[in-house]
Amino acid sequence: MSDIHALIVDDSSVMRKIVERSLRQAGLDSLVVFEAASGVEGLEILKTKKVYLILSDINMPSMDGLEFVRQLKMQELATGVPVVMITTESSEAHVRQAIEAGARGYIRKPFTADQVKHRVLTLLSAS
Amino acid sequence: MPLTGIKASVCGFRCKQASSFGEKRMTLTLRDSMNLVADPGNLDNSVHEVFETMLGVQCRRDPIELGVGAEISEESVTAVVGFGGILSGACVLRCGAPAACRIAAHLAGFDLNIVDEIVKDAIGEICNMLAGSWKTKVPDLAANCGLSVPAVITGRDYKLHVQAPEFRICHTYAFDGVRFEMTIVCDGLQ
Repeated sequence: MSDIHALIVDDSSVMRKIVERSLRQAGLDSLVVFEAASGVEGLEILKTKKVYLILSDINMPSMDGLEFVRQLKMQELATGVPVVMITTESSEAHVRQAIEAGARGYIRKPFTADQVKHRVLTLLSAS
Repeated sequence: MPLTGIKASVCGFRCKQASSFGEKRMTLTLRDSMNLVADPGNLDNSVHEVFETMLGVQCRRDPIELGVGAEISEESVTAVVGFGGILSGACVLRCGAPAACRIAAHLAGFDLNIVDEIVKDAIGEICNMLAGSWKTKVPDLAANCGLSVPAVITGRDYKLHVQAPEFRICHTYAFDGVRFEMTIVCDGLQ
């Protein structure tokens, strides 16, 4: 698999790098990563960049991950692109909220590279 | 320098996630499951889970409290993540600069020797994951207690005060020759 453009939205720069590393370990050879520190930044990037995958934290200042996903729908940005939430919030209710907002997958922190690989490859092969 | 303001700004916070479950909280109480909520083993399990999964290291409990000796006298790093909803309080990670750098280096995957923005970011994220992991040990907490974004305090000669907590669990852990302290403090329980 190659030429995957992905957007990683997380207010932690360390977590963005860890998620990127996990994607590379998943065998995404020519991965091009765009990084955003908030939902607002993520939306701005998507106005000019085309991506095939979005991974977003939920608990972020200024615009959280759930609102970011809702805004994607409202602004018709990245239509059809799978969004995976990566977060410490992992109760059934939180997962339901994320799915209702428009997310297609959910990864709980702490996570292993294998978990990211499994979830991402499943979504990419389905889309 | 006591940071008493932390109590108001962290422990008193109410999160969006918790408030969205307001109807459920009308009848839900954690008091009946106090033994489960305040089980010290939950903190140990969370520390082991987060450190093994994200850092690839195994921590052991250290019976000697942090705060004696030179390990935090020079500079210390404290990360705080607030709980809001059915339980209010905070998850606090405290350590000296060398331990903070070591934890951050394991998480980031490269050497870090000074407490810079990367180290502070990493310590905040670890504390966030520990808070999330700890609350998922009790099903009612997982769904009805939200987390704040992490706050990280650096400096020397400061103390964190919480008045009259419902309960407080404080454990010291060690790995790779460095030590850190984890505290769960609850100042309100429904």
